[in-house]
Amino acid sequence: MHALHRKTRWQVAWMVLPAILTLLFFSLYPLLYSLALSLSDSQLARPFRAFVAFKNYSDAIADSLFRSSIELTFIYAFGVTLIETAIGFGLALLLNQESGASRFARTLGLLPFITPPVAIAAIWRLIYDPSSGLLNHYLVGSGILEQNVAFLGVPGLALASIMLVDIWQWTPFVFLLSLAVLAGLPHEPYEAAAVDGANPWQQFVHITLPLCLPGVLIIAILRLIGAMKVFDLVFMLTFGGPGSSTQVSSFYIYKVAFQQFKTGYASAMTIILIVVLTILVTLLIGLYRRAQQRFGP
Amino acid sequence: MTEHTLRPTVYQRLKLSAQLVRTSMHVVRWAIVGLLLAFTLIPLIFMLTTSLKSPIEIRVSGNLFPTEGIFWVNWERAFRNVPLPSYLLNSLIVGIVSTIMTLLVALPASYAFVRFRTGGRFLPSWILGTYIAPPIVISIPVFMLMRTAGLIDRPFGLALAHMVANLPVATWMLMDFIRTVPAEIEEAAQIDGASPWGVLVRIVAPLILPGLVATAIICLILSWNEFLFALVLTYSIRSQTFPIGISEFQGEHGLQFGEISAAALTGILPMYILAMFFQRYLIHGLTRGGIK
Repeated sequence: MHALHRKTRWQVAWMVLPAILTLLFFSLYPLLYSLALSLSDSQLARPFRAFVAFKNYSDAIADSLFRSSIELTFIYAFGVTLIETAIGFGLALLLNQESGASRFARTLGLLPFITPPVAIAAIWRLIYDPSSGLLNHYLVGSGILEQNVAFLGVPGLALASIMLVDIWQWTPFVFLLSLAVLAGLPHEPYEAAAVDGANPWQQFVHITLPLCLPGVLIIAILRLIGAMKVFDLVFMLTFGGPGSSTQVSSFYIYKVAFQQFKTGYASAMTIILIVVLTILVTLLIGLYRRAQQRFGP
Repeated sequence: MTEHTLRPTVYQRLKLSAQLVRTSMHVVRWAIVGLLLAFTLIPLIFMLTTSLKSPIEIRVSGNLFPTEGIFWVNWERAFRNVPLPSYLLNSLIVGIVSTIMTLLVALPASYAFVRFRTGGRFLPSWILGTYIAPPIVISIPVFMLMRTAGLIDRPFGLALAHMVANLPVATWMLMDFIRTVPAEIEEAAQIDGASPWGVLVRIVAPLILPGLVATAIICLILSWNEFLFALVLTYSIRSQTFPIGISEFQGEHGLQFGEISAAALTGILPMYILAMFFQRYLIHGLTRGGIK
């Protein structure tokens, strides 16, 4: 902005000091500590029993449960992100005009986002219940299903059922953010297109979609990062089961660290997870930058 | 001649069909909102009706509404079997303390990042980058750190963890709000001899007050809903929060869905009321901070 006086510079340094301390204690230190733990034979109560070099890492890579947990996390995160972005953005396009319907939808859209996942998972568990659940009651009652289904008890189906709860919780959030993207679109290209005689469909494909792409990508990336963290829904709905068919990475690491107390091994898995996620997010942000250069304002 | 007489009718037909399209779009729009409404509200309504059903009916029927009359027994048991008020009080303490701490750390830092480019691109990127890591990743070292500091099973320890978790969200939102303040206003104050802190407290903070409120409410909600740190860092009624209370129902009493529903509603309601009061701020804050 302008040259800072020495006194001013000190004041500004004080402004960022709490943030820097927080980062040192809760970001840098945890990372270094995890790295150290991951190279050791460690238990929760007795860390650093022996130095084992990369044994934890080779064990993790050979651990089929860990590999499948990463796979499940990716299926889950990409699945819900695609569906939530498609529905949320689609709804925003439909309800973009200021109308009673859109105002109503906006208010409603806040509810799922502020509902504690643990509380909502509890009621979805009853909705999915094989003997007295709401879903079976109405699907069997209307003849869509022939007999009761254990939505959370069948491998494959269980993960999809958890994903539906995620979709319930986050689609309205995507919808709200998509409305903001649409509200930020410039008017000029539409006026020019109207002069050129472009029909609404052409306007949508050639103006709206490209202009929205960067904003929608950011929303999708936010959702993807959030979905990669899934833990509470799994904890409440299936506890990783049946078998290990819904055991996502966060849940598996939690079990290894805090139920089997193998913190050294769990730390190696967290380091691998953080590397995988950092690569993924870096790639996606690169994609976003390219979209912005091409279509952005 | 025919052309002349035809023109108005074509025009009228077009006008009529445009009107038809507009009306049908209106209907389609409300139909979609209706579906959305049903999908969003049915789980919440089911939660309410389940809490009012008799425990026997809950076990045998998945009907949305109670058919055997309304019972309050689930509500009584929910409060009797589990120390619900303590969980809620802990949630409130942790939520408020962590929100205040988050703002105290994030607001000055965001201001310095935006106006003085402190730390260049590196420091803000680092803070925002921490959002990528799932909480489980830092839960082991943070557990060890808290144990060393004697903060396991203390509301303050959990609040500290929530501050760390919410810092990137708050920083992102606040940086965006601060960018909307014209630099000229601040420069004028600086010429008058105000220090950076003075400008932040007396000029910038009041100007972005709606954004500040939105950020605070979102931090409060995120803390109120947070589960993993609460699970790892607390183990007794001294500091366990509401989400842990809900999961306790499953552990100790089998699957008492009526009680869980009553308890869940008790914890959801304060947040809904809060969101209702600050709805405008919330939508504004979410949509501004989320996109730019």
